[in-house]
Amino acid sequence: MSFSESFRQNFLEADRWKYLANGLLTTLEITVFAVLLGMVLGFLVAIVRCTYIKTGKLRPLDIICRIYLTVIRGTPVVVQLLIIYFVIFASVPISKTFVAVIAFGINSGAYVAEIVRGGIMAVDNGQFEAGRSLGLSYRRTMMFIILPQALRTVLPALANECIVLLKETSVAGYIAIADLTKGGDIIRSQTFSPFLPLISVAVIYLVIVMFLTYLVGKLERRLAVNVRR
Amino acid sequence: MSDAKTLIEIRGLKKSFGSIDVLKGINDTIKQGEKVVIVGPSGSGKSTLLRCMNLMERPTEGEIIFDGTDITKLSEKELNHVRTRLGMVFQHFNLFPHLTIRKNITLAPVKLKLMTQEQADAKAEELLKRVGLPDKADEYPAMLSGGQKQRIAIARSLAMEPEVMLFDEPTSALDPEMVGEVLELMKQLAGGGMTMAVVTHEMGFAREVASRVMFMSDGMITEQNTPEEFFAHPKSQRLQDFLSKVL
Repeated sequence: MSFSESFRQNFLEADRWKYLANGLLTTLEITVFAVLLGMVLGFLVAIVRCTYIKTGKLRPLDIICRIYLTVIRGTPVVVQLLIIYFVIFASVPISKTFVAVIAFGINSGAYVAEIVRGGIMAVDNGQFEAGRSLGLSYRRTMMFIILPQALRTVLPALANECIVLLKETSVAGYIAIADLTKGGDIIRSQTFSPFLPLISVAVIYLVIVMFLTYLVGKLERRLAVNVRR
Repeated sequence: MSDAKTLIEIRGLKKSFGSIDVLKGINDTIKQGEKVVIVGPSGSGKSTLLRCMNLMERPTEGEIIFDGTDITKLSEKELNHVRTRLGMVFQHFNLFPHLTIRKNITLAPVKLKLMTQEQADAKAEELLKRVGLPDKADEYPAMLSGGQKQRIAIARSLAMEPEVMLFDEPTSALDPEMVGEVLELMKQLAGGGMTMAVVTHEMGFAREVASRVMFMSDGMITEQNTPEEFFAHPKSQRLQDFLSKVL
């Protein structure tokens, strides 16, 4: 079978390209909302953990956060997805995409938390003392002095986490979500020609990742200005 | 001097880090307008004593009475307020690298609602003139020399209009040629009547500016006196040894 023949069969016939297009939209939707959830969760967990490490306060919360980090980082994301869909939301009629956002968001939050915590701990303790010596509270010092500096150092790592998350959503098919990967796989199962649909899926991921990587690089260069002490 | 108001009173102050006793019972009184210079060998507890005065370090035992209130008993919130009245200057400047010089100076007074941004900006301008760096407002700390950074750090503290300034080895991290400009500014400040506690190795500054020089060794105040007596007639053997090494 010639290439054009194969192309026609895999993408044009029966509008099969829509599996990829709709799948891509679903993948992006899950990624964007999971990233947002992950960032919020991750920042909260990081702040709780740093507050405990620096001041000894919030001990019970810190213990909960540590359990969260251990469990989430210690189990595969697919297993977490399955448990959240089939166990936790088993009897709740709820959109699968929403479940995926929750699952990937919770998963990503654990990694974001450790990245941000690293960033906060890397800010020189003198910054903290300077803030406190001026009469700023712990919370204000954190907000206006520590976090802005921590954020600059961890932004590239956070952006990287987004890229990782984008690729991780490819397992959403486990709960029968028609994401990009699943879309390619559906075409494969209909046409019995695996090469084009799967390679296309790979190329689409690659192009998005390369674009995001390019943006991260730009961001890093912009942040490099003015920050060195 | 003796009828001046007592600003800081330290009673039975002890501080341990784990099993190491850094301060072993300090008693002292600092009156308004006094300039106390604290000297002593490294590890003697000078910096810890200074850092206890605004509770950057929590004493293990004892009281720190600032303007009539035992600040070791205050809530976190009350303590924040007290800290606005005690300026602190650090060895490593600790300017905020992500903010312009102007923002470094105005951040605290504005966030604490002591001034509007406009008032704080005007204050910053005035302070920058006073520390001799009027054209640096829009630059970032990374662009300044060590001596300039420390002068900005002093301006930042002064923006809070503190009643006492605590200096923790303010010139120890500076290149030798920059020590002078910082000491000059501190002398100006002293001349303006500011109450100061200064931990330093600059004996010339102690001699010239101090109203009292305090010698610490092994977590105790071993000896203190007017600068004239302190340097001319040291009483204890420890101080004589110390002075023979540093002078």
